[in-house]
Amino acid sequence: MSISLAKGGNVSLSKEEPGLTQILIGLGWDTRATDGADFDLDASAFLLNEAGKVRSDADFIFYNQLRSSDGSVEHTGDNRTGEGDGDDEALKVNLTQVPAEIQKVSIAVTIHDAETRRQNFGMVQNAFIRIVNDATGREITRYDLTEDASIETAMIFGEVYRHGADWKFRAVGQGYQGGLGPLARNFGVNVG
Amino acid sequence: MAISLSKGGNVNLSKESPGLKTVKVGLGWDTRVTDGSGFDLDASVFVLNETGKVRNDQDFIYFNNLSGADGAVVHQGDNLTGQGEGDDEVVMVSIDKLPQDVARVTFSVTIYDADARKQNFGMVSNAFIRVVNADTNAEIARYDLSEDASTETAMIFGELYRHGGEWKFKAIGQGFAGGLGPLARSMGVNV
Repeated sequence: MSISLAKGGNVSLSKEEPGLTQILIGLGWDTRATDGADFDLDASAFLLNEAGKVRSDADFIFYNQLRSSDGSVEHTGDNRTGEGDGDDEALKVNLTQVPAEIQKVSIAVTIHDAETRRQNFGMVQNAFIRIVNDATGREITRYDLTEDASIETAMIFGEVYRHGADWKFRAVGQGYQGGLGPLARNFGVNVG
Repeated sequence: MAISLSKGGNVNLSKESPGLKTVKVGLGWDTRVTDGSGFDLDASVFVLNETGKVRNDQDFIYFNNLSGADGAVVHQGDNLTGQGEGDDEVVMVSIDKLPQDVARVTFSVTIYDADARKQNFGMVSNAFIRVVNADTNAEIARYDLSEDASTETAMIFGELYRHGGEWKFKAIGQGFAGGLGPLARSMGVNV
């Protein structure tokens, strides 16, 4: 039975699913029907060290850099319109291959070209992030974002992190008005 | 010697640190980097008599009443954002100056305006509360609020209490719904 998390809540993936090696992080959303430009929401992942920063720009996984250098994190591809039920974008993480110095993988969703298209998360409904045991297909936990996030254009949905010997997931749901720029910069990525 | 207590544990301070005079409560957290209202965590201390109530409203030490228990408890000031390394709020308790009718000293932490701001400890990075033997700087107990009180907005962290002729500290770690007002009222403060 999947555990539903409230904002700020956390759960141990290792305890819920002993022997867990690979997870699928599924992200989904509905965009309200409006006139004008399509909504293109992009999932990304940041591999973070103990200081909460990437080691290099190679630790920023997104539609133009689909795999981490060690192969532990893989983005399964860009969905440009939100077509389709269920997960709109997904990332796979092989927990056993994540380098020891990486303490946390932060999962974010950003609205592509938000400013020009005048879009923000207030126009996005039924957003969720879920963690699935990739070997069995069983959903371990999910966080349904319910806050009105009317000014944010980039949002950290959740984070997968080490806690002692375990891997845990925390429901975050916090964002940035300025979009991917400030979000990525906060994690130490060199943003042009 | 550093003792680290887990929830429910207690330590005899008089035996562990004979002659212990001062205990420091330290509260720390990271400033908010995402959009939205800042995180304002508040440490508070209730000085209680044998019935578990404050002797008077002065014995509720918090950001609007920085000194109580006849000067034995001193709050070093309100931190509204978590700015700064280490302990962001500190309360000093001079055990040797606590009046005889004081039976317990309870420590708690609350998030200011949590309901309106829709915040809980899990949203805050690196939030902790700890109790330190101020004479030796040894940490007696520490609670990771972000991790272990993640969906709470207020928590009773622990209490110093007299047992026989000695002072002991008990780690409680119990969440409390409703915020500082209801918590203070439950301790007999006129809010």
